[in-house]
Amino acid sequence: MDPFSLASQRLKIPLLSASISAGFPSPADDYTEANIDLNEHLISNPLSTFFLRVKGDSMVNAGIKDKDLIIVDKSLRAKPGNIIIAMIDGEFTIKRLSIKNNELYLKAENHNYPDFKFKNHIDIQIWGVVIYSIHRFL
Amino acid sequence: MTISSIEAIALIDANNFYASCEQSINPHLRNKPVVILSNNDGCIIARSPEARALKIKMGSPYFKEKERLNKLDVAVLSSNYSLYADMSKRLMNLLKNYCEKIEIYSIDEAFVSISRPNNKNLYPWARKIRALTYQNLGITITIGIAENKVRAKVANKLAKNIDYSAGIFDLARNENENSYFKEISVDKIWGIGKQTSNWLKSKGIKNAQELIDMKESEIFKKLGIVGKRLQLELKGYKCLTLEKGNKSKREIQVSRSFGTPITKLEDLTQALAIYAIKASAKMRSQSLQTSAISVFTRTSKYSSQNYQRSAHKKLINATDNTNVILKIVVALSKEIYNPEYKLSKAGVLMQDLTNCNYLQQSIITYKFQEDIKKSENLMRTIDSLNKKYNNKAITWAITKKTKEWTINRNLLSRTSTTDIRKIPTIVI
Repeated sequence: MDPFSLASQRLKIPLLSASISAGFPSPADDYTEANIDLNEHLISNPLSTFFLRVKGDSMVNAGIKDKDLIIVDKSLRAKPGNIIIAMIDGEFTIKRLSIKNNELYLKAENHNYPDFKFKNHIDIQIWGVVIYSIHRFL
Repeated sequence: MTISSIEAIALIDANNFYASCEQSINPHLRNKPVVILSNNDGCIIARSPEARALKIKMGSPYFKEKERLNKLDVAVLSSNYSLYADMSKRLMNLLKNYCEKIEIYSIDEAFVSISRPNNKNLYPWARKIRALTYQNLGITITIGIAENKVRAKVANKLAKNIDYSAGIFDLARNENENSYFKEISVDKIWGIGKQTSNWLKSKGIKNAQELIDMKESEIFKKLGIVGKRLQLELKGYKCLTLEKGNKSKREIQVSRSFGTPITKLEDLTQALAIYAIKASAKMRSQSLQTSAISVFTRTSKYSSQNYQRSAHKKLINATDNTNVILKIVVALSKEIYNPEYKLSKAGVLMQDLTNCNYLQQSIITYKFQEDIKKSENLMRTIDSLNKKYNNKAITWAITKKTKEWTINRNLLSRTSTTDIRKIPTIVI
């Protein structure tokens, strides 16, 4: 059977009886609440929060993969250990802000990529702190 | 003379706002000269400081500057108003958190008030907002503080002109304000237009200090109460109050220039219909209804033809219903159309706006309450679907024909902070 006829067959089967409007009121009616709003749960500072799309795999070990959607809060002060968006010589990048031997550097979470030392670059600026990465599995 | 006051007024504005928004979300543009073009890529309407330094002129037509901009490696962008609107909203919300009252004056400036007991030093407050705005939005602001609105505007200008001010200037805490006022030419004072400044100059009044010293009666005779208020504010008295943040708009206009001039009636009608749909949705989002609708069109300012027409209709019952408004606009479009002219711009104007929460239906139409309710529900459904699907879900058939006249935005900055398909991509 080809998928189209399957679909049209499915359409013919009513999932709910037509008499629903005359049925009993739902016992759950009084408990209806608004839907879960991800904005509300994921974003605490809307005015400084931005979305970006990731391309590349230099942060896979931190769970940030190609095509992921990341949520960045610019209002947060970056601390060592945070994953941050930095601007290095006019490019955005995501790295983990790290500290070793009293020296700040930006660490890639993939062995194939180099770390960045602050002192090797004239123009490094921290743009914001990554608070979430949203990965699509399907 | 300074009158001590317990409420300070600050005028806060964003520097090179459009260019700053672009530079803020696109690292390639940082520290680079950037210019933004008006609709249809006509003129330069914003410049980054780097572009200013190259002496690129504001308002000059793009086609004249194109070659030079290329040579100087200037980034040229079409205006991206949804980005600027989003950044503006964020900026205003931030400012709201740090002041008592706010009057949003334009997309990139606001008057705010803050209490000032005992002539308190407000520099720490101003420095904090300035730092926060830069960190949260990547945008630099200038803050002028004074006792009233006119002086706050002057203070803002001084903050920009004086190198060591670091973007903040407090006029109320300055001893020798006369010397500063002498530096402000009259045509730079808020509320003084070209005509007034010409008149003042003919009277030998060139700067703000001379305007302060001018005889009150002379100003009153020529400029009336507005001029008198202006002089009093310059002196330090408070005459103008902050207008409420969400003041009801008196009219809503949607107008655009066409990418290519149009000569066919159906094109004009279609354009006006699209603007009418936009304007109606805008009204509903602010709970407003219109009782007077205007449409207008004109030829290009740069063409040899000179034609402009408008048509107007008053309504018995205020409405926000797109169906009703469309019918009127389509009818009015025939009145302003003239096949002999190449039309380059058109628009619709919703006037006599009233808040529909207080609306009274006239008695004759009272029996149509049921219909009104039905159409209200329909409009609400359309608005919520369009909100969900980025204005793409539902529209009227008239908008669907191929359009040859839409705006040219060839250099549009693709980036958006409001559309998930156009958010910045970061290569890692």
